[in-house]
Amino acid sequence: MSMAQEKAEFLKGTLDMLILKVVAVGPIHGYAISQRIRQISKDFFQLPQGSLYPALHRLEERGWLEAEWSDTATGREAKFYKLTRTGRKQLESEMLHWEKLSNAVALILRTA
Amino acid sequence: MRWWRRFTQRALSEKRLDSELQFHIEQRTNGYIAEGVPPEEARRRALIEFGGVELYKEECRNTHWENQWDILARDFRFAFACLGKDRRFAFVAIFALALGIGASTAIFSVVDNALFEPFAYKDSRHLVTLHLRDLHQANDWRGLFLYDEFQEFRRRNDLFDGMVANLQEDVVYSAGENSLLLAGNYVTPGTFEFYGVAPFLGRSLEPADYQAGATPVFVMRYKTWVNRFGADPSSLGKTFKLNGISRTLVGIEAPRFAWGGAELWMPRGPEEPKIVRSFDGRQYWGVVARIRPGVSLRQAAASLNVIAQHFSKVYPKDYPARSSMEVESFAHIVTPPDFRRALYLFSGAVGLLLLIGCANVANLLLVRATTREKEFAVRAALGASRLRLVRQLLAESLLLAIAGAILGILLAWAGVRTIAAVLPDFTIASETVIEMNRAVLVFAVVAGICTVLFFGLAPALKASRCNLEESLRDTGKGLSGAPGGTGLRNILVVAEVALSVTLLFTASLFIRSFVALERVPLGFETDHVLTARLPLPPDRYKTGAQLNAFFQPLLVRLKSMPGIADAAEASTIPPYGGIRSEVEVSGKAHSEKWYGLFQLCSEDYLPLLRIPVLEGRSFTEEEVNDARRVAVINETFRRRYFEKEDPIGRKVQISRLKDFPDVVKEPSFEVIGVVADARNRGLTEPIDPEMWIPYTVTGSAMRGILVRTVKDPKALLKTVAREIWTTDPTVAMAEPNTLDYFLDLFTFAKPRFGLWIVGMFAGMGLLLAAIGVYSVMAYSTARRTHEFGLRIALGASARDVLRMVLGQGLRLLVLGLGIGLLASLALSRLIANQLWGVSSYDPVTVGRVAALLLCLGMTACWVPARRATRVDPMTALRYE
Repeated sequence: MSMAQEKAEFLKGTLDMLILKVVAVGPIHGYAISQRIRQISKDFFQLPQGSLYPALHRLEERGWLEAEWSDTATGREAKFYKLTRTGRKQLESEMLHWEKLSNAVALILRTA
Repeated sequence: MRWWRRFTQRALSEKRLDSELQFHIEQRTNGYIAEGVPPEEARRRALIEFGGVELYKEECRNTHWENQWDILARDFRFAFACLGKDRRFAFVAIFALALGIGASTAIFSVVDNALFEPFAYKDSRHLVTLHLRDLHQANDWRGLFLYDEFQEFRRRNDLFDGMVANLQEDVVYSAGENSLLLAGNYVTPGTFEFYGVAPFLGRSLEPADYQAGATPVFVMRYKTWVNRFGADPSSLGKTFKLNGISRTLVGIEAPRFAWGGAELWMPRGPEEPKIVRSFDGRQYWGVVARIRPGVSLRQAAASLNVIAQHFSKVYPKDYPARSSMEVESFAHIVTPPDFRRALYLFSGAVGLLLLIGCANVANLLLVRATTREKEFAVRAALGASRLRLVRQLLAESLLLAIAGAILGILLAWAGVRTIAAVLPDFTIASETVIEMNRAVLVFAVVAGICTVLFFGLAPALKASRCNLEESLRDTGKGLSGAPGGTGLRNILVVAEVALSVTLLFTASLFIRSFVALERVPLGFETDHVLTARLPLPPDRYKTGAQLNAFFQPLLVRLKSMPGIADAAEASTIPPYGGIRSEVEVSGKAHSEKWYGLFQLCSEDYLPLLRIPVLEGRSFTEEEVNDARRVAVINETFRRRYFEKEDPIGRKVQISRLKDFPDVVKEPSFEVIGVVADARNRGLTEPIDPEMWIPYTVTGSAMRGILVRTVKDPKALLKTVAREIWTTDPTVAMAEPNTLDYFLDLFTFAKPRFGLWIVGMFAGMGLLLAAIGVYSVMAYSTARRTHEFGLRIALGASARDVLRMVLGQGLRLLVLGLGIGLLASLALSRLIANQLWGVSSYDPVTVGRVAALLLCLGMTACWVPARRATRVDPMTALRYE
């Protein structure tokens, strides 16, 4: 596997977790998700905004997200995502995993 | 059914996907506009930030399973286009697969139906028949038994789990002009329970029907009911006048019930008066038993021998000097053990045929894969994923497999139908139904499809596994070509060729045997002769004089009809001649018994069949009308029993006539002439001594007529029938047809059927072998394109290349031919007893088979060889 591919795989996993975390706050549409990720990460992830959508569809297909079409505040119809029960479990396990990993990495960086 | 809605509403979800992405872009644009960016610029920025809309749409779509169908459809469209570009490959591959599936299924179905599972009877594996064997002559003495014997045998229920018997009798169904002669069977109590076949309509015969004084009833065969009575359900319960007795039809038997080949079955209880009617006064019953599990055939025979020894003293005439009972498995009636061995071999060969079909397809797919290696490498390099490549090849293979399977099923179906249609009567048991063997068909189709998928996917797996650069660089270069798998492929071709040689050899032997059979001189002329059996009502035709009163005017009338050249009375239809009898020749002493055949006929019999008189004369009309004791003998009779003496004027005694119901007390006849030999025991058996005597000497025995016509004999069938009615309306005419027809039916039909099957088999084998040779040669030349280019560039001529490729093919062919011929010679002993007039080591056959195979094989090599010579060195080398 090439370097570029490895980076893409790594990002894909991370992106999935970020999306799940953002969606966890409640029904939210794709644009709002992308805005929140940008705001919170302070534009750390330099991804084309469109790449969010394949990820959303993939998570929906896997049953971690569910979606519903309803009106926004401006009256335009949009697709709102929310977490399913299995999605929540997945998020919890991924966060736990991430925490362990980052703790371990931080420990090594600090002490080695 | 959410998944179904999703599948059917793909257009809607497409619209929603678009709307979702557009919403994002709109929101972003609005955001920029709010920051004071002009709308045009705002939208541009939003679009740039978003990235390729179509790309993401595609990615989104790919996550939805229902869209995989569209991708699959696209794969199939593409596969179709690919195959269309290489039509020759597609046709050959589909054809090879279809042929393998179709031929093996059709042939196996017929063999299985006709020979392995011909009967639909309960537990038919344990059914046995009884025979009495003459130990002196090592042949069958009789397979029929007297009722007393049957009853004694049946008591041995320690050996048998039931035993039944049937007595054949011609049944005249009197219905005025529509009178019919039907093949009847009297059956013993328990017959239908014994066979365990439920009736099609109504009921079978029941115990009460066999009781003395019960209402006379009968049941009918399904085929007879359909053919003769128009499958009319209302005929059930009606009363039929059969041989003068009114019997009620109570049931129609199942289509596959045809015991004894009869058309109707009548109950026959033990108390009924013994004699119904028979040619020579005695009744012989066919006996079938179900042997108890654990009892061997030999054991049963040994026990029955004790009973037979007892009866040999009671009925000495029915037993040869030294006899032995034999119990034979029912299945052996249709397939004698030595023939059965050949059949197993045959079935094995059918399996091989399928294997060859599959191997050919595999080979062809590999050829194609080789030539496309570079295409796949390029596509992989351009970013096609492994999944994508596999899927596309899978689509191609599936298309091939499905087309091949469908064509194969059609071929199998057509094959079975054709064989069932050309199958002559009496070739196989009447109970047999020829139909497709579904299990074999499914097996063949699955095997074929698996082969295609497996070998079709090989290149994709290889392309995705291997390293791109290597693949692009190396495509079968080097002078030797890649050796991998070549050995296996060569072995395959040699095996194919060997098998097809064996099949061809067998088929040729059958053909030559058949031709020899057709060329057998009969000794009489069969063309333009009509013949019919005439069962005369026994109550009114008891004596020779009574017979004469019927035949004499009938023959005179027939002879005067326009279009009729001659007419004669006859007791049997040639080439099966006469009634067997012990004979005595005056003045000749001999220790062993002498036998001969005799015919009861009118004066025109010999001239009508154009059997030439060699010495003396044939008998005259007066001699026939006066029932004079004169006889004409054949050449064999004179040679065997008179040796060098002059037979004319000598006396011969025909002992059998003393046993006839219309007894001939002093059956001594004066020999008045000798005629040339004519076949009298079929075509392949040696001619027996035979005598012809005036038909008027006795009123017993079966009678019939022969009519020689001037033009088409069939046109006169109605006229002859009408004349018979006019002479006596109570006489039914049985099976009238031409002599040629009967000759064909009883003599040629069976070998011709064998010829058909083996010929078809050999044809398929040959075709598949040719495809095999072609595909392997095409493969190896495709691998060596580079090499040929180099050789041509270095000065090799087209002839050199041609010779090289053909030489390689020839080596394979010759090797296969050698192995095949050796195998054929070893195997032909197994079919030796099916052949006639040709040795199983026939050199002519060997030569022809070799020539045919080499011609076809070289033609198959020629196509790829020609292609190799047309290699453009520049193109071949530039591919580097």
